[in-house]
Amino acid sequence: MKLQLKLVLYNAFSKAIIILAIGAFLPIIIRQVVYNHIDKRLIARSDKVLQIIRLGGLNEIMLDQDCSYGSYNIFKEEFINIEPLHQLDSDIGTIMIEDDERQFEDEILKHRVLSEAFLFDNQLYNLEIGEGLSTVEQLNNTIWSFIIWTFIAVVVVSVFIDVGFSRMLMRPFYRIINRKLRDTQHPTQFETTPVKTNTYEFSYLDQSINEMMNKIKDTFLVEKEFINNASHELLTPISVLQNRFENILAEKNLPDDVADKIVESLKTLHRLSKTIKALLLISKIENSQFLKNEDTDVRLLTHEVLAEIGDRVVHKNIYLEEKWDDDFVFHHSNKSLLHTLILNLINNAIKYNKTDGKIFINGFMNPEKKFVLKISDTGVGIEQEDLKNIFGRFKRFRPEDGASFGLGLPIVQTIASFHGLEISVESEKNKGSTFSVVFPSIPS
Amino acid sequence: MNVLIVEDEKSLSHEIEIFLTQEGYQCDVAFTGKSASEKIYVNNYDFILLDIGLPDMNGLDILREAKEANCESSFIILTARSGVEDKVAGLDMGADDYLAKPFSLLELQARMQAVMRRKHGLQKNTFMIHDFEVDIQNRSITCNGKNVPLTKKEFDLLNYLILHKNRVLTRMQLTEHIWGDILEDDYESNYIDVHVKNLRKKLSAHSPVDWIETVRGIGYRVTA
Repeated sequence: MKLQLKLVLYNAFSKAIIILAIGAFLPIIIRQVVYNHIDKRLIARSDKVLQIIRLGGLNEIMLDQDCSYGSYNIFKEEFINIEPLHQLDSDIGTIMIEDDERQFEDEILKHRVLSEAFLFDNQLYNLEIGEGLSTVEQLNNTIWSFIIWTFIAVVVVSVFIDVGFSRMLMRPFYRIINRKLRDTQHPTQFETTPVKTNTYEFSYLDQSINEMMNKIKDTFLVEKEFINNASHELLTPISVLQNRFENILAEKNLPDDVADKIVESLKTLHRLSKTIKALLLISKIENSQFLKNEDTDVRLLTHEVLAEIGDRVVHKNIYLEEKWDDDFVFHHSNKSLLHTLILNLINNAIKYNKTDGKIFINGFMNPEKKFVLKISDTGVGIEQEDLKNIFGRFKRFRPEDGASFGLGLPIVQTIASFHGLEISVESEKNKGSTFSVVFPSIPS
Repeated sequence: MNVLIVEDEKSLSHEIEIFLTQEGYQCDVAFTGKSASEKIYVNNYDFILLDIGLPDMNGLDILREAKEANCESSFIILTARSGVEDKVAGLDMGADDYLAKPFSLLELQARMQAVMRRKHGLQKNTFMIHDFEVDIQNRSITCNGKNVPLTKKEFDLLNYLILHKNRVLTRMQLTEHIWGDILEDDYESNYIDVHVKNLRKKLSAHSPVDWIETVRGIGYRVTA
């Protein structure tokens, strides 16, 4: 989940909680306050009624002494009721206030009712004064709906504001990631200018990335320097030896056995130089010293490779079949490295093939819309347990004779990962091998 | 032809000098950038073989300096440094070719000849080898006016052998010339033998080819 979305959701959620809490407690508080007021008023009224009775007798209010007295106003909002009591439920002078439903004519209404027993002329009476609660209920309902609507409005508005704000807030973050990390093809092209932001966390992130990238850049440059120096220091002596051997070989009257030894030495020297060059090539690729700025047509490139080593196919009397279901131009690639990759694969297909064998080259789009180049041969194949090792450097396959497959496939592997290609291999001993190169899908 | 070998590794410089002198070039050597600059300024060389990794300065600076001074010499860059940029920069600055160390001296000479042909074009493009006439320009070979159809690789092989006539070329040297630098550990293979066999077959249909000799255990030699 995006941080931006999280912030928005979190904000909306916390606002909802606060508003819900207010919504839940406010009516209770309001009711409490209103009841307080009503109760005070009721007490004041009852005092007043009792005072009137004490001063003027019951007749002041009641016409008939035996009859109870009841009165309510026209909206049944208030009522007063005095009736004689035959039995005392509570102490005289105890005021009880409670909610009660009263029937007036055919209406049942909720009231706040004060009841107080009093003694007058040795007769017990019960005084009830009531005040209608319908207005209070209404008020409560109004507050409730007001709160609900405010809640919805606030949440909606705040979500919009939060989306905009968090987007603005997160902008430097994406700028840092895109400009510093994603757009940087190579550590040496890294841009160290700080991204403009006044958020401390982002400038801290930016700064940390800058420091880290500078370290990587330094490491890369040191490694590059090392590769260059190693290259020079290792290849120069080989160069001297090779040229010296060549000159010796050209000498007149060179005994045959010496010539043979010189040729053998040249071969050994060549093996050494090939190994060093292969290792240097792998290091250079891993050190990102190659650009990926070319468009490579895989079919054309395969044909270039075949033109180069096609004579070997003929010499081994190999039947070579090509099938191109689809074409593919690989953008942002390094043509000469891909050339090396395909050349190594096809050359292996020839080298490990049998005389009169077959090679099948197939280019097609797989169901995931990725281009696949498949090179199958009917050669010696690879043992199952060796399959996982074939891309490893200097892995020995047949320990008994000490032969290794050299660095051809490790180079293929390195070029592939440099380009984001997937390489897989299927093989069966004595039946042949199939190497599949899956190219990255074209970004739409 | 005059050649200046700019190379700080003295033993390497020495081997190149021996080889080129045998091949009829007049050689001069410079071990430092400074002395190279001076020599280029004073003398007129046909070729300057330039190592870029000199102790006192970058060989590319010598190249730039020389080009700015309208030096007519052909430059071939020799380097053991691996930087891809070096190659591009060198060729951009007007170097005629680029050879990565270690290189075969035979390859060096072939490149020098190619540069010469490309630059001046006035050299004879055809020559005779026994009964055959080789046309380097059109990459064809004829015998008494009859064309002998050769594949590209067969022609390259024959041409290389003729270029270094009277010298034994090893299978490895031939392999490297024909397929370049890229293929590894294939020197034991018999691809070269098959090519030579086919070549002999095609040529001998017109005239005897005993001048293409097999040197047992080593390789092949063209005698003339």
